[in-house]
Amino acid sequence: MSVDANTIGRLQRSRKSASLDLLRRLFRTRFGGIGLVILMVITLLSVFAPLFATTGPLELGAPSMQPPSGQYLLGTDSLGRDLRSVMLYAGRSSLTIGFCAAAMAFLIGGTVGALAGYFRGPLAAVLLRITDLFHTLPAIIIVLFSVSLLGANFWLQVAAVALAIWPIEARIVYGQFITLSEREFVLAARAAGLSTFHIIFREILPNALPTVIVQVSLDASTAILIEAGLGFLGLSDPTVPSWGEMLNRGQEYLELAWWMSVFPGAAICVAVLGFNLFADGVTEMFNPRASAAPPKLEG
Amino acid sequence: MVRHIAGQLAQAVLLLIAVVIIIYCLLQLIPGDPIQAMVGDVPVPAALRAALEKRFQLDQPFLTRLIGYLGNILHGDLGYSMTYRRPVLDILAERFPRTLLLAGIGYGFGITIGIAIGIHSAVTKHRGVDQAWSSLVLIGYAMPTFWVGQLLVMAFSIQLGWLPTQGMGPMISRAQGLDWILERATYLVLPVLTYTILETTRVARFMRASVSETLEQGYIVTARQKGLSRREIIMGHVVRNSILPVITVMGYSFGTAMGGAVLLETVFSYPGVGSLMVESVRQRDTQVIVGVVILVACSVVVMNVVVDLLYAWLDPRIRIASARR
Repeated sequence: MSVDANTIGRLQRSRKSASLDLLRRLFRTRFGGIGLVILMVITLLSVFAPLFATTGPLELGAPSMQPPSGQYLLGTDSLGRDLRSVMLYAGRSSLTIGFCAAAMAFLIGGTVGALAGYFRGPLAAVLLRITDLFHTLPAIIIVLFSVSLLGANFWLQVAAVALAIWPIEARIVYGQFITLSEREFVLAARAAGLSTFHIIFREILPNALPTVIVQVSLDASTAILIEAGLGFLGLSDPTVPSWGEMLNRGQEYLELAWWMSVFPGAAICVAVLGFNLFADGVTEMFNPRASAAPPKLEG
Repeated sequence: MVRHIAGQLAQAVLLLIAVVIIIYCLLQLIPGDPIQAMVGDVPVPAALRAALEKRFQLDQPFLTRLIGYLGNILHGDLGYSMTYRRPVLDILAERFPRTLLLAGIGYGFGITIGIAIGIHSAVTKHRGVDQAWSSLVLIGYAMPTFWVGQLLVMAFSIQLGWLPTQGMGPMISRAQGLDWILERATYLVLPVLTYTILETTRVARFMRASVSETLEQGYIVTARQKGLSRREIIMGHVVRNSILPVITVMGYSFGTAMGGAVLLETVFSYPGVGSLMVESVRQRDTQVIVGVVILVACSVVVMNVVVDLLYAWLDPRIRIASARR
């Protein structure tokens, strides 16, 4: 097939305007735009942490336990570290865990869900039982158990969190595959003799994407909360600063230094809120009935 | 109905056995020589090694050990804690009721208040009120449990000095009877309040969605056209129908609530199962960790069965369908 340059250009333009259009629609939802802005801001702050930080993350030297002031914006901690710098670098590890654990959970859960939903039968029965099994235990218990077995290495921790949250992902993807594989366009693709690979990745998956994006975003927020819990318990990797680990330190000084606990906690709250709002926005965008204002009872 | 219950119970038992088997297999993954770990950092004489292997059946094949382990658990033998120098079952029996007390009260308040907020948020005529509730719930939902606990401690204990923060009672107490209960209760206020905030936000979120969905149903339109008042529609049609899915969701999230206890109990040094788990992970007391995991799995499974039964009992469609069978 020969396509002239003009058509390609037009296609590219239309793709660009399509993504712009999506963005516009996201900003028109109740909370989606706020969520996206929050996520972009905290991501940029962590990526460019060295630009905004005054010192390195583990650098000492400031007077210890200083309340927030002009010089030390968020105060200093018991060891004499500038909390503003620690916060920025800690954001890196918290966000990394959020994104990576969610991605891993999507890979595991997505594969399991897709296999079970597409092939059904005994394979699905076995896979769903395994999913249930993991779902029985609370996430934090699974993570604590894994950490007690494997130790507190940063990447093992990411894997442990992913191991704890994949079952929900599997359930969601399974549900999508069950519904979508009955739809006409999939039947048409089957009738046209397209390969299973093509049907799963080119036909069903793109249509399941909105739902999957929502779940991955919620997973990321769960992962950040779990990491925060782990850090708070003093069981995260001690060489990597994180918001949870900062709260662990703050717990000892609740009476003397409120800023050591308030700021990291607020940061976690904002990051989680960002992911949740973004997820809400995407849901509303693709399924306006789900979270748009409900009909009100009159009279 | 009896058959329905029996089926649920059989499934629950199978699930529990599977959980135990998986945990047992995972324990085999711990790197290192178990006997060396028992003895400590000294060379192990061959005779002692043989004796220990025989004592802990380490010379047996994997399957035999697994079956032996399952048998022990069925007899209530969850092992012996090296840190506490007590059988694991004893420790759990002492600590679990405390966690149940904390989680139970928090759960109860949370569900009640959450349902009320969810209904109000969904049926209110003022969009602003709905927005305010929704925003509050979203923020509450995003706050880490233990951080809420820390904030409350700072406000009510440190700034205002109203409430104690640590443990579940004073070290020395002469109080008797009602005074004793009141004294204990002051220690429970902050943990329970934290728990309630956490559960309330979750329930309110589900309840609002559920009520909105109910409001779109045909029977609400019918009820309106029949001329029923707003109050009658909400009390008679909306609430009943919206609460069912929320009960299911809350039942299934009981596990998450137990997980929340792990962090919460640590903030308030509350001597329940959660803080036991954390202490044991720090001490690497594997027997206790496994005991807690099995206990949590059991309680989650039991809760799921209870919810299924409650649902079958509350929803006439299921009740009648299973009675006919």
